[in-house]
Amino acid sequence: MSLDRKAAIVIAALALAASACASDKATGGAAPATATGGDGVKTGPGVTETTITLSLLTDLTGPYASLGKSVTQAQQMYFEQLNAAGGVCGRTIETVVRDHGYDVQKAMAAYAEVAPRTAAIPQFIGSPMVTALKEKITADKILTLPNAWATSLLGSDAIQVTGTTYDVDMINAVDFLTKEKGIKAGDRIGHLYFEGDYGESALNGSKFAAGKAGLELVEQKIKATDQDMTAQATAFKKAGVNAILVSVGPRQAASLVGVALASGLDVPFVGSNSAYSPLLLDTPAAPALLKDYYVATAGAPISAPLPVYQKLITDYEAKFPGEPLDSGVASGYTQAVIIGDALKAACAAKDLSRAGIITAHRSQNAWEGGFGGTPMDFSVYDKPASLSTYIVKPDKEAIGGAVIFKEHTISDLAKEYQVPPPA
Amino acid sequence: MYRCLAWTGVAAVLFLVPFYLDGFWLQTGLFAMSAAIGAIGINLLTGATGQLSMGHAFFLAVGAYAYVFFSAEPTAKLGGLGLPTGLAAVLAVVVAGVAGGLFSPIAGRLKGAYLGIATFALIFGGQHVLFNAEHLTGGFNGRAVPELDLFGFSFGDTPALVVLQVPFGTLERLWFLGLALVALSIVFAQGVLKGRPGRAMNTIRDHEIAAGVMGVPVARYRAGVFVLSSMYGGLAGVLLALVFQRTVPEYFGVLLSLDYLAMIVIGGLGSVGGAVGGALFVSLLPQLLTKYSDSIPLVAAPGTPGGVSPAEAARILYGAAVVTVVLFLPGGLLGLIRKIRLRPPRLRLPLSSPSPSPETRSPHVP
Amino acid sequence: MTTFVELLVNGISIGAVYALIALGFVIIFKATEVVNFAHASLLLAGGYLVARLWPLVGFWAALLIGVAAAALVAAAIEFLVIRRADVASHSVLAIVTIGVDIVITTELTRQIGTDVLAMGDPWGSEVVRFGGVTLAETRIVALVTAAALITAFLLAFKYTGWGVAMRAAAEDAETAALMGVRLGRVSMSAWAVAGGLAAVAALFLCVFPTPGLDRSTSLVALKAFPAAILGGLDSTTGALVGGLVIGVTESMMSGYQNDMVFLGRGIGDVAPFLVMLVILLIRPAGLFGTKELARV
Repeated sequence: MSLDRKAAIVIAALALAASACASDKATGGAAPATATGGDGVKTGPGVTETTITLSLLTDLTGPYASLGKSVTQAQQMYFEQLNAAGGVCGRTIETVVRDHGYDVQKAMAAYAEVAPRTAAIPQFIGSPMVTALKEKITADKILTLPNAWATSLLGSDAIQVTGTTYDVDMINAVDFLTKEKGIKAGDRIGHLYFEGDYGESALNGSKFAAGKAGLELVEQKIKATDQDMTAQATAFKKAGVNAILVSVGPRQAASLVGVALASGLDVPFVGSNSAYSPLLLDTPAAPALLKDYYVATAGAPISAPLPVYQKLITDYEAKFPGEPLDSGVASGYTQAVIIGDALKAACAAKDLSRAGIITAHRSQNAWEGGFGGTPMDFSVYDKPASLSTYIVKPDKEAIGGAVIFKEHTISDLAKEYQVPPPA
Repeated sequence: MYRCLAWTGVAAVLFLVPFYLDGFWLQTGLFAMSAAIGAIGINLLTGATGQLSMGHAFFLAVGAYAYVFFSAEPTAKLGGLGLPTGLAAVLAVVVAGVAGGLFSPIAGRLKGAYLGIATFALIFGGQHVLFNAEHLTGGFNGRAVPELDLFGFSFGDTPALVVLQVPFGTLERLWFLGLALVALSIVFAQGVLKGRPGRAMNTIRDHEIAAGVMGVPVARYRAGVFVLSSMYGGLAGVLLALVFQRTVPEYFGVLLSLDYLAMIVIGGLGSVGGAVGGALFVSLLPQLLTKYSDSIPLVAAPGTPGGVSPAEAARILYGAAVVTVVLFLPGGLLGLIRKIRLRPPRLRLPLSSPSPSPETRSPHVP
Repeated sequence: MTTFVELLVNGISIGAVYALIALGFVIIFKATEVVNFAHASLLLAGGYLVARLWPLVGFWAALLIGVAAAALVAAAIEFLVIRRADVASHSVLAIVTIGVDIVITTELTRQIGTDVLAMGDPWGSEVVRFGGVTLAETRIVALVTAAALITAFLLAFKYTGWGVAMRAAAEDAETAALMGVRLGRVSMSAWAVAGGLAAVAALFLCVFPTPGLDRSTSLVALKAFPAAILGGLDSTTGALVGGLVIGVTESMMSGYQNDMVFLGRGIGDVAPFLVMLVILLIRPAGLFGTKELARV
């Protein structure tokens, strides 16, 4: 036994001694260094003389797989085009895709794996995942664009929520209902929402707007696993609501609208931007959705007559024939362009370090990029980048299954609204 | 003798890991350590005593959230006690045990499938509370986890610490804590299994009535093992929370519970080594497949069309592993290793029976 | 009052579908003493085939194929896995079915991908009104079908040779074998029947008011666990009652959610499990389950 112990001590000592000289990690404790390359551009982690590495943290196998697939394909296509046009700063963009399947632990593991070699994150699906990593992302200074629009994601200079947040959309939706759908003070409106960030963010907005407009709000909370909205529709009907806001997934939205119409609850519905998918137009729910259902969203639908979208449609259909052109394609592409523009601006400032990329991004206070809508203000990060919302209507004939019903506007209610401070 | 040498070698390698490998591996390793502790716990319950539990994730949640609640300073929105973090960790494990004890009216009475599905209620009920008791749990977004501080030594990134030229951040520091906790968990569980309680537990699993006749207080043992396994779950939860640095309710769901069952079956039911081996297999497999997806045939890198994605490949492999092990490798990975080691055949009686319960499928074996 | 009746009727009709799934669990448990956690994947397999095939062969043929295929998959699980795992205790067999479930479900969700598949059923989104109560036609069909299938099964269980063999095998496998009952056939047929029932349930879970089958459909099968347990795992009557209890509880709790805010929102999902716990506290073998008798 004593021999063993001696052997153990010897092994440990030898190994420890060896580690001190051979380990890559033996940096003596200095932070990962920024360097200045031959071209005079300051670089940081994820940027070499020839490449810039971007990480897409997505969901390809979980509940948001359809969104993840569209966003990822659109973004990869954009970066390929950017490379074909000569890249950024003489460097090629490389993308690393990691699928977390909407699982917080897998997302954290994926982030830990890719973060040391990542310059920016043009896609991070899932507000629980981004929230869990918010502090790390902020400390690592990696410019990150979450594909989630909850208010809890505001407040970090490294995280850029694009466009409006869910609450702002719902405020504009209530404004739309009062102005164009005859909802007046004293009426009741329902709000079906998911538990969690998405739903509760949206609920904040509807509560605020309902209070201001003198409406009574009837809440129904569901889980992402619920499929059949009969009980909820019955409850709304019992409460006698005159309109319903919908902040759930596309399936639940379709179920609710179908049941409500079938049981004689014929009222207007307005959904959050995540409560609709063109795939639903191939299901029996289509007639109900086409009747009186709207979606409040910050980005113009892909059918909007914008040159940048027409090019996107042509390119995407050529590269991915038969794949749906849903809102994920448009929003993913937009986010890729935002990152591309931030990198270009950082290059112009000769600073491609992570902090340099964030500074360059935050210096843009009226970014529009050809995508229509009110320009986004990236210089603030404790408020939504935009307050204007399109009202979009499902349309079977249109590309992407939706058309603009009402141009983007900022309601007076939204201007009054103060985003709740982060917890 | 050789065995001892081998173990010291393993220990030395484990000690060296933080000096070489980067954050990803440390994090993956720490998740595996937490899983190992949790798996030892559920193996005491399901493997050694034969009580099917599908609610293990609940006790991890209790441990994780209790640690946060005890250690966090109260704020306007979130409650907390602001206790010293070391004490909070110990209390969290105790609270997980108490939660297990509160379930004992059910755990002591129900058996087999009934107990298994009844423990499902813990998961759904638990998650409901986690989502709704926002003042305690932070609701859907969860809460930040305070750094552990033991006797003035912080398991966080600050103050900066450099050991042998290697910067020691949260993960490096936690690595050694994790190793110590795993070692402690192994030793304790070995003690339980090899002693009198272990024999009593195995007897309850193999033949409950015989156990009762022989004077084993069956109901008390069953409830006791449930408490012990909950405490292991709680400890795993505390470690997990420290690694995550954030607790979110979403994570502690049915899938996590099923993962734990898969771990102990793959590793080998009823033994401590089996639990640890299964935990390593289940937690490392998806990470390895993702990291090396470019170089593995049939597995496509995420985001490329065609082929099976690494996440799916990992799930299929691990589901298939469960089936394969039960059909062809009774005793799990550990049994396989023993079998290989026992060649050339020697006469040796294993101390604890490595094979799963000899309970047969006919209900009327005397 | 109208709301109450509407919630009740809806609860009963969805409960009947849960009862179909729960009945499958019970049949399998009676025949092989295995708690089949792979039931969710059988459901998904049946539903998936119906959804994929109806555009090609029409709805009714697709339904037949779907039911047959789910039965075949279930029989294959019994033949290839359960029958060969001879060393294991019942807990281990239950865990094996989890492994099977993971493999099948992962592959099916990979096939389904991101689609929402319509079932092509002839009922569409029609509703029927009785007084002030509205009810989807699909729900009425579900209720009638479930009732018919359950009755047919109970009759077959009681009067046919197969039913007698199965009851004998469940009562005392060894004696039954000595009396000439072919245990392998009995248990394989039990699995097949359960698979077929699951496929029928899948159909009704994916038609209106839900938009169609997608990757999350299999999660609904989880709700049949408390249904099977609270009725008693070895009681066919129990499965029926359990399914109805769970369906009505869920429907009522969701419908009256706003009057019970103190319980937290989303209580409708948890309530079935709480009901199950309370029942198990009073009757550890469920409402109709036989208490385990020990013979030493």
